[in-house]
Amino acid sequence: MPITITTLMRTLALVFLALVALTPGCTDSGQPASPATPTPGVTATEIVLGSSLALTGHAGYLGTQTLRGAEAYLRYVNENGGIYGRSIRIISRDDAYDPPRCLANTQRFLIDGNIFSLFCYVGTPTTVQVLPLLDDAKVPLLGMLTGANALREPFNRYAINIRASYYQETGTAVRHLVEDLGIKRIAVFYQYDAYGFDGLVGTELALKRFDLEPVARSFYIRGTLDVEDGLEKIMASDAEAVVMVGTYSACARFIQLSTTRGFFPIFFNVSFVGAEELARRLVAVPDARVVMSQVVPSPGLERAREHPDDAVSEYLKIIKRYYPGEPPSFIGLEGFLNARILVEGLRRAGPNPTREGFIDAIESIRDFPLVEDAAITFGPKDHQGMESVYFTRLIKGSFHPFTDWNVLRATE
Amino acid sequence: MKRPPTPETLFNRVSLRSKLMISMLVAVLFISVTIAFVARWILVSSLTDELELRGSAISHSIADRGAEHILDNDTPQLLSLIFDEVRLHERKSLVAYIFIEDRDGTILAHTLIRSMPDELRKHSLPEGVDESTMLLSDNGEEVYDIAVSINEGLYRIGTVHVGLSKSHIDSLISKLRFAFLGFISGVIIITLILSSQLTRRITRPVSDLTRLANEISKGNFNIPLSRKNEEHWDVSNCPAFTNTDLPCWHLDQSALPDSGEAEAHPSCGNCVFYRTRPGDEVAQLGNSFRSMVWSIRLYRHRLHESEEKYRSLFDSGPDPVYVVSSSDGTILDANPRAEELYGYAPGELIAQPFTVLAANETQEFMTDLLSGGDLGCVYYPKQIHAKKDGEPFFVNMHACPISYQGKPAIIIAAADITEMIEKDAQLIQAAKMKTLGEMSAGVAHELNQPLNAIKMGTEYLRMAEEGHVIPPEQQSEVLVEISAQVDRASEIINTLRAFGRKSDIATERVDLNAPINAVLSILRRQFELENIRFDLRLTPQLPPMNGHSNRLQQVLFNLISNARDAIHEHCPADDPDAQRVITIRTGSLPGKVFAEVEDTGGGIPPEVQSKIFEPFFTTKETGQGMGLGLAISYGIVKDYSGNIQIRSTEGQGTVFHLEFPTA
Repeated sequence: MPITITTLMRTLALVFLALVALTPGCTDSGQPASPATPTPGVTATEIVLGSSLALTGHAGYLGTQTLRGAEAYLRYVNENGGIYGRSIRIISRDDAYDPPRCLANTQRFLIDGNIFSLFCYVGTPTTVQVLPLLDDAKVPLLGMLTGANALREPFNRYAINIRASYYQETGTAVRHLVEDLGIKRIAVFYQYDAYGFDGLVGTELALKRFDLEPVARSFYIRGTLDVEDGLEKIMASDAEAVVMVGTYSACARFIQLSTTRGFFPIFFNVSFVGAEELARRLVAVPDARVVMSQVVPSPGLERAREHPDDAVSEYLKIIKRYYPGEPPSFIGLEGFLNARILVEGLRRAGPNPTREGFIDAIESIRDFPLVEDAAITFGPKDHQGMESVYFTRLIKGSFHPFTDWNVLRATE
Repeated sequence: MKRPPTPETLFNRVSLRSKLMISMLVAVLFISVTIAFVARWILVSSLTDELELRGSAISHSIADRGAEHILDNDTPQLLSLIFDEVRLHERKSLVAYIFIEDRDGTILAHTLIRSMPDELRKHSLPEGVDESTMLLSDNGEEVYDIAVSINEGLYRIGTVHVGLSKSHIDSLISKLRFAFLGFISGVIIITLILSSQLTRRITRPVSDLTRLANEISKGNFNIPLSRKNEEHWDVSNCPAFTNTDLPCWHLDQSALPDSGEAEAHPSCGNCVFYRTRPGDEVAQLGNSFRSMVWSIRLYRHRLHESEEKYRSLFDSGPDPVYVVSSSDGTILDANPRAEELYGYAPGELIAQPFTVLAANETQEFMTDLLSGGDLGCVYYPKQIHAKKDGEPFFVNMHACPISYQGKPAIIIAAADITEMIEKDAQLIQAAKMKTLGEMSAGVAHELNQPLNAIKMGTEYLRMAEEGHVIPPEQQSEVLVEISAQVDRASEIINTLRAFGRKSDIATERVDLNAPINAVLSILRRQFELENIRFDLRLTPQLPPMNGHSNRLQQVLFNLISNARDAIHEHCPADDPDAQRVITIRTGSLPGKVFAEVEDTGGGIPPEVQSKIFEPFFTTKETGQGMGLGLAISYGIVKDYSGNIQIRSTEGQGTVFHLEFPTA
């Protein structure tokens, strides 16, 4: 009987399988089962958080305000018994808005291994620098004072934003400028780093929806006040509005110089610029039309009166109690809200919190009524709690909320 | 004894398809494996080199850019630098760590998020060497540590270490290995599929042919010959299939006339069979094979038809036909008519010896048959055969040698002639009755003589009654004489009765002298009254012959009557000088007995001699005879395998010479 095709095939298949099986080095050795290690930064009495932020330098105001806002609430919580009997402590290190120092601080936190979570970072370039470490160390970072897109896309499980993004801020502002005021000539002035680029791209994307492009782009170097060249370029473009993505000192100088030279466009600043500090520096230029987007409601008394049970009025009460004499600020309110979410997450994470459990707890927050007209919602693929963008304009040395953009029309 | 198959016989045993496939596979496998291994070797070695080069390039780049930070003592910048290097996306999994030591071996910056393990510090760059690579183990993970010196001017101010993850390199290599294995597998699978398709295309027609041939070998010709995608073609649709007078010439070479180039029949061209079909050699072989099968079927059909035809001739022939083996004389076949006539059940005759049909009569035939000589066709007339119940009847047998199932045999046709024989017998009987009438005068004479003698004897004895004294001797003599005369009369009557009796079918042994004496006993007296003398020269003790005595008597009576008529015709009875003698002779020759009747008549002219035995031929005047006497005599003599001859000299008389074989 002839040897059939079937037997031939079978033999070949066996030979092939044997070849595959004999090929060395193809299999991963199983991961060793990790023993139940205690969660770092969690002791019987306290939960320790690490925070690297600018406490000094040209962005020092932002860091200190954030930290105070957060610490005020944490002190309040600690005084009221803490979370499951544990008090919450923030170890803060100053990075002076310098990414390498922020990186060094964060590495220190991770190597020392005694923090539960990273908390309240300030600034885009600094936070972006440490972002890869989060994945490696599997440590959550909650509440960043930045709307950088890089912290949102691609999605990172360990990065948890509270506030709206720069894209949302610039996008909303551009829409109002174009639709409400009919402005077509918009320029962008940005800080030459990840933060500035983020704002630039956000603005460009928003303009693109109206088939527009920035009429001029100019920048300055982080940590300097060299804005003249940028100003000249923008003045030459005859822009009607300037989107400013920088820090308060550079932006204030830009506006001062501009008005000095008789150039009066609408100056739109994103929230990171820091309203109170900018306002303080622009007291001398009352004529400038300066607008700032905010990602938290205005921490004014008006609002506190309107919504007495709101987190805003709570902030006002608590900051007054723990930091008497410290004026309430947008940045401080943001830090305060970060702490509120942190505490809510820790509560939900239960008496034996783990980092992963904490993230899951945050993701479980739905329609958390922190601010009355902007409930906070997270989800497994949604690590940004708030979507609201508020606008304020500079009136007599302070920023006030407004909704009618017609007030900004240039008085001829 | 079964031997383990050698590789050669194993190769011979596998099918053609497997051979083709194996050959193609081995060739492709060899080439692709060779290519794959060479390429893999080149790629793996160059990949490893390339990755190490990359690690080295990273180290040098850091060494160049990091020197100023070391001099500035700006550790955060150093840290940022090495983090930037390690975090560049494509390097992330390749570079396990980077760290920088100062000249004293103090770690200035590292990219780990845990404290610096001591294992990684084992690799220190010797003085005067700018670059070195060492395989280290970091927490169980193997790492190629590439150390590069950071110099200010000629002198070292620090060292940068870049750790390349060995497992990453290995995984790249293993990816490469899998890619090649996959490539080979793909090639093999594609080759397998392709070669399978190809070999199937090649070998399927051959397999089909093999299957067809097997079917045909088993005698199954009813296999479909049409191929795929071809209209159904039934062989029996061809006009040549049913009409044997219509062969398609270029197919049916056997019917080709000598001239050769005969035109194809117009309808043959329509047959699918004759269409040429395109295809490769295998397809052509298939076509030829199908044509061959087609032809076989055609001829089988014709053969079958022919067999049917002759079978029906055999089966429904009006006469019994037997096929008898030449070697042992048994019946090989018999047609239904034979069974019917001989009274046997269907099939009962098969394998019986032929002699069962007629034990005595067929002896001669069987002897001839079994002698094995080349007989040619032989005719055996008037054979007596017996039915199964023993009833005899006459047949004429024709036997011809044939070849039956490859062996010599005899075909025998036996025509039933019983009715004819009956008619013959009736004719003979009628002739006998006529003869009896003719004999009555002689009989009367013959009976008169003893009656007269008895009359005289009784009158003589009455004289004694009237008173005459008769001597007792005389009285006794008279009584004896009377008794003798009564015996004689009774003998004559017995003779007549025997003559008139219808003879049996079977012959008896007869002494040829007996019928002569019987006839003479009746005719002698009358003939002597007619002045005709008998000259009897009978040889005693003749060997016996087979025949019927009364029929022989009839023959002799006819001959003697004719002799008397010839004598009367030739010389008148009242001529005293005339020789009026009938001479009757008997005798024997080897194997034969004979009898002669000679007259002294006027002889028979030669032209008449040839017609004399024909029925209704007579030389006598109308009303004197029917002309059947000699014809019947001739038939009787022939029945006994005898012979009758005439010797005649005109004017001197005629001799009828009868000759019979002895029993």
